[in-house]
Amino acid sequence: MNAVFTIIVIFSAVIIAFTAPDKLLSGLLSGAENSLKTALTLFCIYAVWMGLSRLAEKSRLSEKAAKAALPLAKKVFKTNNLKAAEHIAMNLSCNLIGIGGAATPYAVKAIGELEKEGNSFAQKLLFVINATSIQLVPTTVITLRAAAGSTSPSDIFLPSLICTAVSTATAITLYILYTKLNRKKRGK
Amino acid sequence: MQYIIPAIFILVFVFAAAKKVRVYDEFSEGVKEAVKFTFSLIPCLAAIFMMCELFEISGLSGGVTNLLSPVFSALGIPPELTKLVLIKPFSGSGSLAYLTAVIEEHGADSYISRCACVLYGSSETVFYISAVYFAGLKVKKLAVPIVIVLVSTLLSTVIACLLCKLI
Repeated sequence: MNAVFTIIVIFSAVIIAFTAPDKLLSGLLSGAENSLKTALTLFCIYAVWMGLSRLAEKSRLSEKAAKAALPLAKKVFKTNNLKAAEHIAMNLSCNLIGIGGAATPYAVKAIGELEKEGNSFAQKLLFVINATSIQLVPTTVITLRAAAGSTSPSDIFLPSLICTAVSTATAITLYILYTKLNRKKRGK
Repeated sequence: MQYIIPAIFILVFVFAAAKKVRVYDEFSEGVKEAVKFTFSLIPCLAAIFMMCELFEISGLSGGVTNLLSPVFSALGIPPELTKLVLIKPFSGSGSLAYLTAVIEEHGADSYISRCACVLYGSSETVFYISAVYFAGLKVKKLAVPIVIVLVSTLLSTVIACLLCKLI
């Protein structure tokens, strides 16, 4: 991220210095403004879902979900941490039902828990799964199409599902292959 | 589908009340966590958004789009969608705005719009996620996972453009 950020900012700034020097500062300011607007939108989503998830936590509802998911978490994510398994289970289920915004706080919590046991394999695996999108129902897109007067807004459901499945499966496979190759190299 | 969210809310509230959880106190406590969490995101959000803004103003994003269009065309991705494919990994709101524009321009039921919708719905804001997930942690070497995600996303994009012709 550091390299990407540095390169893009320097290249862009140099070009802007030549083409439209007065736009550099205004661009930076509007970027900052947009970040706060986005933060506000995100806060609304988080406030609802983190309020609710606190209730699920205190009533030990999410612990039950976690216990059910623990064997899978052990096998796939190689973790014994019940707290981490709980967050992972909640993250994946939020993703599946299409509330990606609510999934983020759980992923961050899970990654924090996994940090304690130094399990970077699981951290990155969780990232790979989340970053390839595992939505079952693309709610936002269907709503958008309906609003634009589509005759059958949900006819993209099947292609979306196939594509999501393909990208996530490919990413998981590639990542596991990569870690295995890496281990072999280190073994030699 | 529309019953899932109300069902979850009612279930959690009723269950919490039955377990004698102090519902109002704990709910506000959860929102307090959300406040902290949102604030912790602002630094990396601001940095990424400023970067995107500069990338756009400098004309670099346009240049990269023109450069990659032929490559994407060869893979079966329509040139109208090159920009969407490129913005999506960086910015959710940016790509959503672009998606809306595509749907308006081409009509909701056109091939282009359907493709755009599928690839929007089946990909994620990779760079944004990586920044948020690993903010303040020591985990390094994210380059390989990011490349893996981008390759997989490109693959699913190609498949999306193909599938939308068939289905």
